[in-house]
Amino acid sequence: MSNQLSLTPSYYEALKRLTLELAGVELGADHTFLVETRLSALARKEGFDTLSQMIEELFSRGQTRLAVQVVSSLLQRASRFFDDRKGYETLGDILLPKLHKLYSGSTLRILSYGCSSGQEVYSTAILADKFSHALPNMPIEITGVDFPSWALERAKTGRFTHFEVQRGLPIRHLIEYFDRDGEDWVVKNKLQERIHFEDHNLLSNPSSLGKFQIVMFRGNMKHYSDPAAARIMNYLSGMISADGYLLLGSNEKFEKRSYGFKISPIAPGCYQKEAQSKVGAPPKIAGGTEPDTPTAELSLPQAIRRGHNAA
Amino acid sequence: MNATAKTCLIVDDSKMIRRVASRILKDLSFASTEAKDGRDALDACRGAMPDAILLDWNMPVMDGLSFLKALRKEPGGDAPVVLFCTAERDVIKIAEAMDAGADEYVMKPFDSDIIESKFFEVGLV
Repeated sequence: MSNQLSLTPSYYEALKRLTLELAGVELGADHTFLVETRLSALARKEGFDTLSQMIEELFSRGQTRLAVQVVSSLLQRASRFFDDRKGYETLGDILLPKLHKLYSGSTLRILSYGCSSGQEVYSTAILADKFSHALPNMPIEITGVDFPSWALERAKTGRFTHFEVQRGLPIRHLIEYFDRDGEDWVVKNKLQERIHFEDHNLLSNPSSLGKFQIVMFRGNMKHYSDPAAARIMNYLSGMISADGYLLLGSNEKFEKRSYGFKISPIAPGCYQKEAQSKVGAPPKIAGGTEPDTPTAELSLPQAIRRGHNAA
Repeated sequence: MNATAKTCLIVDDSKMIRRVASRILKDLSFASTEAKDGRDALDACRGAMPDAILLDWNMPVMDGLSFLKALRKEPGGDAPVVLFCTAERDVIKIAEAMDAGADEYVMKPFDSDIIESKFFEVGLV
């Protein structure tokens, strides 16, 4: 399969606009190779003979489902188990013991916002299981959400390759929490029982997911445009309970606004909700797409039509 | 060779595996030495205990598990961090290796990212 001329400059510009409008993420100007690689893989999964055919289909017919898959593929991040260890140390050493004092006898809810292929969710579930004896009577429920994508579909299956389970996952955790199935490893039911995943446009209002005591949004902020990041932060602030915490990447911090969280982190990247926070209205996103529209009913982004015209 | 570099003994009957592992470890700033079976490895350890051992399971003369059990009985033999590196993927076998005193376990095939991740796991990088 040759994709040499699949991404003309006009198509690349159209894809940049599409990604900004649908996801609030700005693709760099020089990521053509990466984009071609990822979209070629998607084209094969979607049953197209060539990347060119898929691009033509996207911009000529403007399929919303395909647009979401394209954007999700472009945004997919390399994910590994127990990535950014400091965050898990904060979770296990500080947050869970603090919250146990408040939530013993209740269910604690943790959200992984932008969970990709699920390693963060399963790592958190392993940690929760390890702490379950020290912190009794506090069942922990973990939810992973992300844009609909192949990665998220894989996350739901709990199935990981030989290579994936060897990146960040200690061998003792592997044999305790996974079953071998041919060349792959599959998460055991005892972990799956505390986990569920949902398709969710990260720029859409997540209020239907309910309240959480801990939200993990780690290593993601840098990818978003300023308005999109502000919108997400406002949403996350709104869905964290009054005694809850936001866990960013250990090297991430609030630059201009604190979004209803105490300004000083209690640990690297970890912010506690202000007792009575006032959060501003989510800003509009560049391009004018209405992010409150549920993903399943996304209106056809104008970028698709503009891309079609541009090409 | 950097005098302060950590040392790793690569134990595998495959010359190719030893070469690939050696290259990866060099990138991780390790000074590596090689042994082609457990008996050679035990002799090497009696001369100088390495900081780490990357250990195959199935080898002629003395296999990895027998070597590990013998190593842990040697004076100073509890010091090296031992990472099995083997095609054995059976959960029972993995548990057997860990119970015998291995610190981590790499399943072949591996790449540099996996080796780095496993060495990070045991505090060597």
